[in-house]
Amino acid sequence: MIITFPHMGSLAIVLKALFGNLGCQVLVPPPTTKHTMELGMRFSPETVCLPFKLMLGNFIEALEQGADTLVNCGGVGPCRLGYYSVIQQQILEQLGYRCTMLTIEPSLVDVYKQLKKIAPHASWGQIYNAFQVAGAKMNLLDDVGRVINSLRANEAVQGSVSSLWEQAVKAIDMAETCQDVGDLRQELQQRLAVVKTSTTKKSLRVAIVGEIYVMLEPFVNQNLERCLGNMGVEVCKTMFLSDYVKGHVLRRQKYVEIYRRLAALANPYLSHYVGGHGQKSIAYTLLKKQQGYDGIIQVYPFTCMPEVVAKNILPKVSQDVGMPVLTLAYDEQTGEAGITTRLEAFIDLLQYRQAKTYESGKLDCEQYRLQKGY
Amino acid sequence: MSLRVGLPQGLLYFQYGTVIERFLSELGAEVVLSSETSRSTLDCGSALDEMCLASKIFFGHACSLRDKVDYLFLPRLVSIRPGQYTCPQIIGMPDVLKHNGGKLPPIIDVHVDMRQKPRQLYQAVIAVGQLLGRGVAASLYAWFRAWQCRECLRSGKKVLAGRPRLAVIGHPYIIYDRQVSLDVLGKLDRLGLTVVTPEMVDAGEINRGAAKLGKKLFWSNSYDIAGAAMALMEAGCPVQGIIFITCFACGPDALVGELIRQQAWRRNIPYMQLSLDEHTAEAGMVTRLEAFADMLKRRPKA
Repeated sequence: MIITFPHMGSLAIVLKALFGNLGCQVLVPPPTTKHTMELGMRFSPETVCLPFKLMLGNFIEALEQGADTLVNCGGVGPCRLGYYSVIQQQILEQLGYRCTMLTIEPSLVDVYKQLKKIAPHASWGQIYNAFQVAGAKMNLLDDVGRVINSLRANEAVQGSVSSLWEQAVKAIDMAETCQDVGDLRQELQQRLAVVKTSTTKKSLRVAIVGEIYVMLEPFVNQNLERCLGNMGVEVCKTMFLSDYVKGHVLRRQKYVEIYRRLAALANPYLSHYVGGHGQKSIAYTLLKKQQGYDGIIQVYPFTCMPEVVAKNILPKVSQDVGMPVLTLAYDEQTGEAGITTRLEAFIDLLQYRQAKTYESGKLDCEQYRLQKGY
Repeated sequence: MSLRVGLPQGLLYFQYGTVIERFLSELGAEVVLSSETSRSTLDCGSALDEMCLASKIFFGHACSLRDKVDYLFLPRLVSIRPGQYTCPQIIGMPDVLKHNGGKLPPIIDVHVDMRQKPRQLYQAVIAVGQLLGRGVAASLYAWFRAWQCRECLRSGKKVLAGRPRLAVIGHPYIIYDRQVSLDVLGKLDRLGLTVVTPEMVDAGEINRGAAKLGKKLFWSNSYDIAGAAMALMEAGCPVQGIIFITCFACGPDALVGELIRQQAWRRNIPYMQLSLDEHTAEAGMVTRLEAFADMLKRRPKA
């Protein structure tokens, strides 16, 4: 049995650690590329959302390399993700691939059943350890990612933070035990603390809201956070893999509480859950305004149902609270220049707004000059 | 004077319209229907970005009632069956309308969420009754009367026999809206085909058909159309062809269409998918329907 799974940002590192420690043979699919996209597009229904196509592409590439067991996620709706696995399995069968699809439904009984199929001989201790290591890696990746996203805006040497991030990802991938990950955390914290920054100007702060796959997968969002960081913008992603796992899968008390507060915040605009992260996109727009952010970027795959609902309400939210919102829908046609132009225009607008705030007397002139760096 | 309650002719109106109309009039309200879909409905609905065609049309209908009514009847239909949702755009519709529709009359947006508690429907019924100044018993009785009238409508449908049988699969709000579907049912009839739609399939058969699909579909409408398609393909005398009609950007249909296509392919049943949007031209549609009809008639019987 050779196990494989789709890519989503750094998900592969986490799942590789999980299944590897369960004693399975793991094949990480080749990194998502244009070729993956073309494969996925060729065999997918035309108007299905982008994650479906890319996941299918990942599966095909992994099957070509010899994988025979695909791990996929299930769901209970109303987002389409919950029904991906059925259709993908049929498409792969029609293409003549021989494989087993293990769909992990969000219920404890089902997780246990699938676990028994994946690792029939693993002891409880081994299972516990596998989840511990995978969880530790996931938390460290996301913690470092958060710092990186705000640090990049003020780096003194262009590219230094991004290269640190790449080194960190490699090191985390190599770590074998929880102890290793703990040591690595110490080391990375020290390295992050000594990154040279220029503190002369106050950078803009932008939050990214929207659909998780597009937010996490740099191939799809065309390195959105790096792009913004290089423009001198501090980026806050409102959803990381660890947030999703802790909030939606494990339903930790802390997250359930946060989500309840967010739902209450979004209530005047969207008073019911519409699947996916639609309601959260609206809630975070309001929350980030309160926290003094300068702008919001909503990202989602074209035809994503929950986000389209949010998208149609966001202009009103934006108008009511005075928060600029840029909406970016990604599909397989998305060109790099188009996105860059829009981002540049949006950032220009935010800078203009920031300048106006200062000029209107909320900050005195001296401070303003100091912060703008002239 | 009785209250005027507006009922937009879109989305689930095509399934529950008669019941709701009857229910509201039993409660003593004057029901004002929006007129049939027209070019201006579509134009008005285009204010929404990236929503599916049916949602845009619904929006157009709701806006057209703006100055004519005291209330807009727009319940938030989260789920109409245990374990299933309607669809994210239908769930979000009341909010989308409120924040894009400009100045609107008050909206009756009671929640109907039968996903976990089927009896929640009765709470919704009572809430509507209260808004219209009726008591609990009167509201429930009105609902009971209205539901009965639905039953007698359903039993009235008949299936024609003799000509090649073709299944037209799609959401009721697409295939029964003559403006949106460009009267596809009438056109096929004139081409000499017997058309079967999911509404003509018995609920029991739908359930048996859907059970063969593997994982249960969690959108109630898609469950019905996929189950009906399966039932029609598996029947003793299966349909000779399937036309799947969808509207652009319908989320569930992207997957369900593929599901039905694969099932049809396995059974060697011809399948055609027609995707509609606000730019659909009649000639393009007619050509495709004619070609499909010709193919069905000339195809050697297996």
